[in-house]
Amino acid sequence: MSLFEPFQLPFMARALVELVILGVLAGTVGVLVLLRRLAFVSDTLTHTVFPGVVIGYLMAGQDGVFWGALAAGAVTAVLLTVLAHRRRVSEDAALAMVLTSLFAIGVVLVSQRTAFTSDLTQFLFGRILTVTQEQLVQTAVVTVLVAALLAVLRRPLMLRTFDPEGAAAAGIRVGLLDLVMNVAVALVVVAAVQAVGTILVIALLIVPAAAARALSDRLVFIVPLACLIGALGGWLGLAASYEASVYHGLRLASGGTVVLVLVVLYGVAALAGAVRRRVGLSRARLGTPELEMTR
Amino acid sequence: MTQQQDRTAALVLEQASVAYGHVPVLEELHGTVRSGEAVALIGPNGAGKSTLIKAILGLVPTVRGRIEVLGVTPAQARRDVAYVPQADTLDPDFPVSVEQVVMMGRYRKIGWLRRPSAADRALAAEALERVGLSDRAKNRFGTLSGGQRQRVLLARAIAAQPRLLLLDEPFNGVDAVSQHALLEAIALLKQQGAAVVVSTHDLAIAHLACDEVCLLNRHQFGFGPTDEVLTPERLRATYGGHALELRGDRVIVTQT
Ligand SMILES: Nc1ncnc2c1ncn2[C@@H]1O[C@H](COP(=O)(O)OP(=O)(O)OP(=O)(O)O)[C@@H](O)[C@H]1O
Ligand SMILES: [Mg+2]
Repeated sequence: MSLFEPFQLPFMARALVELVILGVLAGTVGVLVLLRRLAFVSDTLTHTVFPGVVIGYLMAGQDGVFWGALAAGAVTAVLLTVLAHRRRVSEDAALAMVLTSLFAIGVVLVSQRTAFTSDLTQFLFGRILTVTQEQLVQTAVVTVLVAALLAVLRRPLMLRTFDPEGAAAAGIRVGLLDLVMNVAVALVVVAAVQAVGTILVIALLIVPAAAARALSDRLVFIVPLACLIGALGGWLGLAASYEASVYHGLRLASGGTVVLVLVVLYGVAALAGAVRRRVGLSRARLGTPELEMTR
Repeated sequence: MTQQQDRTAALVLEQASVAYGHVPVLEELHGTVRSGEAVALIGPNGAGKSTLIKAILGLVPTVRGRIEVLGVTPAQARRDVAYVPQADTLDPDFPVSVEQVVMMGRYRKIGWLRRPSAADRALAAEALERVGLSDRAKNRFGTLSGGQRQRVLLARAIAAQPRLLLLDEPFNGVDAVSQHALLEAIALLKQQGAAVVVSTHDLAIAHLACDEVCLLNRHQFGFGPTDEVLTPERLRATYGGHALELRGDRVIVTQT
């Protein structure tokens, strides 16, 4: 498999840059999503951002997609924060119903159009190979913004994630922090929507972070590892789908291939993590047995 | 109240009632804890011990009366108040080391961006030393035993250099070694002039470590010197319709 040659083509190069930036963005935010157990937030967002994308597209064409997604994402982030502070959102049947309805509204709206199937596919699974210069800039700006935000807030975020009551007791505005967190997740979904679609972005958020967590117990390593794995998945996935389409007559969708590569990377990381833990454990046992007992 | 008492009173409850929204949880609490003293909050499950601690932190509103912390309102006093949660409420999988947890106690003083100074690091190391866990500094928090985790959380509070320390059932499921380490560290804090509020089900600990006791069950059933308040009659009243036996220093509640 050729890992570099495909990217001499301008559209492939743009796709690669987009996926590498997204990998870094989603990897960083994904670690927080993983630690806060917020998978349902990204889940919710993918359902609500979809109708936003459709409405944006119907109103302003391709340019409307980003802004439609942004509006829907922002509203969702605020609503989720408010709901979570009232009661448990994650296990709420009513919420599930609202989400599916919103999703259905998106589908109904798209079905008005003649190019129904191709549009639907685009919104759900993205179109990585037609990424434009402008989209790259958008993604890069979002990434810089979110990374700066998380860097500034890293201490309150860490304290709030580890010990919510302790954070509140220390005077941290937990509600505000949760809103920021939900907005960050929304921004990832929005940034990724045109490239990988609303469905696959969940994998981009969850899988690299989980893989990095399996490899390390230390946050200073987990975050860069997650970024690296996210970017690596994008690169290998693109190369694989190009190889299959051009040389083997197999049309592999790029977005889907990227996700599958990420899952394979996770498998490798989980295995490596299990080995690491076992080695660490036997080392600890050999090391200072009597000390372990008395303490 | 005289000027002198005012200055040394770390916590003042004045006919204070505390409520979640419209649901009153605690009513008419009255008492004072001075700097260098410890008070034990004792009462059955659901009595409102945790709620009182949250009210002292300003996280649950006082709807009537007044709670004064270090001479100001609870919210204004937070900088000088440290809270020790129950260790088993925290996620044991969280990727954070023992020394990082202790350093969290310095966050308020360090701020959001500045790197911890040598002084911050020294204070954190000293706090960990005081609970006897210096050799575990690099370990992941979740790999420690429950009692050790509780000690780390106390070290985090010590590192914050509080004038009022609040502990919510720190002795639950803690072995003798850890209990001893916790008590020693708390005694030293008291010596240095901090006031301590600790909720517990263990009367022995109240006798051992606390100057005062607050008997709670939605109302106050007594607030004063340990020996005066911890009487079988008052305990029976506090624990309500349950038959209560005192064996040695344990409260034994038998369902009627
Ligand atoms: N967030 C809340 N909203 C409404 N009511 C609450 C809330 N938290 C606690 N309560 C109620 O307040 C009462 C006191 O609870 P609290 O947790 O303070 O008791 P406790 O003395 O700490 O009990 P335990 O020994 O079980 O820890 C209980 O009846 C509880 O149902
Ligand atoms: Mg409690």
